[in-house]
Amino acid sequence: MSTLSPDAARQRVWKVCRILGYVTIFEVAAALIYFYFFKEDVPKLLVSSLFIILSALKAYFIMSEFMHLKYELKAMTLTILTPFLFLVWGVIAFLWEGEYWLSLKELWR
Amino acid sequence: METTVQNAKELWNGGDSPFKVSYGKIMIWYFLISDTFTFAGLLISYGAVRTSQPSHKEGDLTSWPDPNEVFSAGPGFHHAPLVFVTFMTFTLIVSSVTMVRAVQEGHYMNKAGVAKWLVWTIIGGLIFVLSQAWEWTHLIHEGMNLKSNPFGASSFGALFFLITGFHGLHVSVGVLMNTWALISTQRGVFHRRGHYEMIEKLGLYWHFVDLVWVYVFLAFYLL
Repeated sequence: MSTLSPDAARQRVWKVCRILGYVTIFEVAAALIYFYFFKEDVPKLLVSSLFIILSALKAYFIMSEFMHLKYELKAMTLTILTPFLFLVWGVIAFLWEGEYWLSLKELWR
Repeated sequence: METTVQNAKELWNGGDSPFKVSYGKIMIWYFLISDTFTFAGLLISYGAVRTSQPSHKEGDLTSWPDPNEVFSAGPGFHHAPLVFVTFMTFTLIVSSVTMVRAVQEGHYMNKAGVAKWLVWTIIGGLIFVLSQAWEWTHLIHEGMNLKSNPFGASSFGALFFLITGFHGLHVSVGVLMNTWALISTQRGVFHRRGHYEMIEKLGLYWHFVDLVWVYVFLAFYLL
């Protein structure tokens, strides 16, 4: 349980809301600026990495503050978060696999 | 040293809660972990299918569509890419905040406060689901469905309806459960029980739905 006073807890929640809002606005703005002005010049991978990092940031704020994970016991937090390491493997393995399918398609076209 | 080992043994010997959370809360967390893996399975399949298609090329209908071209309309406007979905995302974020406020008022045993913020959360959830219904209707009118997609690779349409549909189902279930919680709050069920932990559990579920949307938004609208 957090030890914040009612007022401080309230203000904190709205602050996190503002952060999530700003990050979303920034993401959409970056996507649109890229779409209208830099589609030809800037590699897509660069903006994609930016979006992935910012989404992870949003996920951190939602889990730590809204879902209260920051204020739970460390053992509890680890129990919840460690299974997600499998997903890192899953993403890498299946994106790799997808590219292989693409190369097969091009080979047998 | 001896005493800490002794304490640790007692702690894990049953009849105690080593994580200092109630049974119900840890179980909703375990459910959310399993649900994360369901959504991750869907989103990872999306990633695999997507990388197996040629990346976006103007006019090539076998290539992956550009989200800025697909999602460019809202109720009453066209040619404004991502504007409507940004509105939907805000609705969900704000409804998450109102849910936290309901949980906080529950800690202070303020029945009227819990009810007030639950109403706002339900309204936010309803606006989101209705917006999604509008977007689906619009895209179906444009000719996008499970089998065909006028903007590019047909698997985009199938994956879009499958994944946003599964997420929308979660939101709808959340709205129903929050409505039930609102009725129970008004009837004083939680007040007589002496705590509003049920609101906390529903809150965890509701924030999870918000969390999943961050990644659905990332996969379909941004990348």
